[in-house]
Amino acid sequence: MENLKYSEILQQNKILKEKIKGEPFKVSILANVTVSSFKEIAEYSLRLNGINPAVEIGNFDNIVQDTAHCRDANMVIIFYDMLNIADNIAVFFEDMDDAAIQQVEQKIYKEIDLIFENLAGIQTVIFNKFSSLLFPSGFLQSTKLDHFVANLNAYLEKKAQRNVSLGDINKIITKLGARQSFDARFYNSSKAPYTLSFFKEYISIIEPVVFRITGKLKKAIIFDCDNTLWKGIIGEDGMTKIDMSPTSAYGKAFFEVQRIAKYLSRNGVIIGICSKNNPADVEEVLANHPGMLLKNEDIVIKKINWTDKVTNLREIAKELNIGIDSLIFVDDSSFEIDLIKKQLPEIVTLQVPTATYEYPAVVQNYIYKYFDLNSSEEDKKRTAAYKQEFQRQDESAKFQTIDEYLASLEIQLNIIKDDNSQIPRISQLTQKTNQFNLTTIRYTESQVEKFMKEENSYVFSASVRDKFGDSGLTAVCIIIENAATSATVDTLLMSCRVIGRNIEIFFMDHILNFLKEKGYDTVYAKYIPTAKNPQVESFYEKMGFNVNKTENGVKYYSLQTEDYQGKKVGYIKTAAVQYN
Amino acid sequence: MESVQPKIYQLMSNVFEIPVEEISEDSSLDSIESWDSLRHLNLILAIEEEFGITIPDEEVGNLVNYKLIELIINEQLGKH
Repeated sequence: MENLKYSEILQQNKILKEKIKGEPFKVSILANVTVSSFKEIAEYSLRLNGINPAVEIGNFDNIVQDTAHCRDANMVIIFYDMLNIADNIAVFFEDMDDAAIQQVEQKIYKEIDLIFENLAGIQTVIFNKFSSLLFPSGFLQSTKLDHFVANLNAYLEKKAQRNVSLGDINKIITKLGARQSFDARFYNSSKAPYTLSFFKEYISIIEPVVFRITGKLKKAIIFDCDNTLWKGIIGEDGMTKIDMSPTSAYGKAFFEVQRIAKYLSRNGVIIGICSKNNPADVEEVLANHPGMLLKNEDIVIKKINWTDKVTNLREIAKELNIGIDSLIFVDDSSFEIDLIKKQLPEIVTLQVPTATYEYPAVVQNYIYKYFDLNSSEEDKKRTAAYKQEFQRQDESAKFQTIDEYLASLEIQLNIIKDDNSQIPRISQLTQKTNQFNLTTIRYTESQVEKFMKEENSYVFSASVRDKFGDSGLTAVCIIIENAATSATVDTLLMSCRVIGRNIEIFFMDHILNFLKEKGYDTVYAKYIPTAKNPQVESFYEKMGFNVNKTENGVKYYSLQTEDYQGKKVGYIKTAAVQYN
Repeated sequence: MESVQPKIYQLMSNVFEIPVEEISEDSSLDSIESWDSLRHLNLILAIEEEFGITIPDEEVGNLVNYKLIELIINEQLGKH
C-alpha cells in the first residue's frame, strides 16, 4: 500500500471493484476536517482484504449529528481534529484563561458522551485521540493546548466503551514527520490537513481491526532456527559459537526476538519451529544452551528435518488443526521465503532483515498487525492446551477404539448460560473461529453483552476439561427466540482445539433439552457455507434436524422438540451447569 | 523532455472516474462533470505525488483545465 501512488490506488480500485462483490461492509468516516482523499484509500485497503466496501464520508464538522444517522454502519472512524477545534475558538488558544478553556473542555466532553452513546450499537468505532503535535510548543514548557489535549485524551480513555478503539495519530505523525503528515496549504484552502502518506499509513495501522472483523487474525508464528532464533549455524558453528546473548552486538537482536516470542507464547500465540537441521543439534540447544530464553515448554510444534518447508508448514497447520493462512513464517533465507511466497501465498512471511538490529522491531510490527494481544486470560492457557493435545494424540495410539480412548480422557463440561465475565472470550471466539462454525457471524463484545441481557436470547458456553488439563471456554451457542413457541440457533461454534470428541453433540443436546423444557416447540437452525467450514455441513442432520430448504448453499433446518430423542455421549460428563 | 500528457490523462481519468479516451487537450472544469472542489484537491495531490513536485499555493486554484495543468507541471519540472 505505501508503495502505491494515489492515482495507482484509484486505478486498482476500479479493477478490484469488479471482482469483489458480496454484502457491502459499511464504513462511515466522520470528521471536523476534510478527509475526502481517505475514502478511496480506505476502499482499496478493504478490497485488498476481500471486503466489498461502502465508504461514506459524513458532513463536514458534523460529527455529533452524523453519529445519529450512521447506525447501520459496520465501522465508524472519527477524525475529531484539534486543528479545527483551535480554529473555531475566537482567540489564540494560549490567550484563553482557564475558565474559558474549561468551558470548551466541558463542551467537548459532552460531545464525546453523545458520540459514544449514539454509536453504542456499532460493531467497531475508531476514535482518533486528540493531538497537539501539529502545534508549535516549547521544548521546556508545555502549552495550554498541550494540557488541554491531554485532558481530552484522558476523558476519551475513561469513556471509551468496548466497541471503541482509540487511534493514536501521534504515532503516525512521529513516524512520517510533521512535514510529511500535514499540508498547511490544503488546510488553509480546504480544511484538508492530512497528506496522502498520512492516510496510507493510517489505513495500514488500523488493518488489525479489519482482520479482527473478518477473522483473518493469525494464530501461530513459526520460526526457522539458524540466523533466526540465534546468530550462526548450529550444525557448523556448534554450541559455543552460536550467539543470542543480550550483551553481544550481534546476539542482542536475537535475544530480543526470543524475548518477544516468549511473551507471545504466554499470550495465546502458538510458537513453532521449522528448521532444516539435525534434530539432535537443535534439541541440544533448546535443552542446554544457557542463552536460550525460548524453552521446549514455550514451543508447541517442531519440524526439524531436511524435508522442504512447504511440506513441513502444511503439516504444522494440519497437526495444529488451524488454517494454513493462520501462520506467520520467519526465516533468514530468501530462498525459503520466496518458496513459501510462491507455493503457500496464504502464509504471511517475514524475512530476517540483513540489518539484524532492525529485526526485533520488524517482528513487533508484524505482531501488532496480525495478532490481537490485549485479550483474555483464556489465551494464556492456550499454549498449554495445544501441548496437551499432543499428549492426547500420543495416548490415542494405545487404545483399540476411539471411544475407549475418549472415555479414558475423562472429559467434563461446564455449561454456563449468560455469564457476563465470559463476554470478551465469547466475542473473541465468534471473531476467530472459522472451521467449526455453523454461521460464521462475528460479534463484538457489546453485541454479546446485549444477547446476554435481553430476555429473548440466550448465550451458552461450554468449558472443557479432561485429565490432561483445562481447555477453557471453547464452545459457544447463541439462541434467539422468534416467538413464544419457536427459537433459532443463531450461532454455534467450537474452537478447533477440542474437535473430534463429540463435545458439540453433548453441548447441543444439552441446549435442545433446555429449549424443550422452556416450551419451544420448534427450533430453527441454518448452515452457511464458507471456504473453511465444510466439516460441519451435516452437523444438524446428525442432531436429527430436518432440512427445509437449501438456497445458495445455505441449508435451513428445523426440529420439532417433541420428536427429539436426545443424543447421548456416554463418556462426557457435565461438571457443572450454571444459568444466569 | 518526455511528454507529460499521457500521465496527466491517466491521472485525470483516475481522479474523475471517466475513461481516458474522454480526456483531451480541451478538457476543463466545465467539460468534466465530476470535477468538483473535492476532486480538484485530490487531483492536485495526485499530480504532486506522481511528478514529485509541489504546486505553489497561489496556482492550486488556477489549474482548471488540461492546458494549465500541463503548463505548470512542465514549469515545476523545469526548475529541477
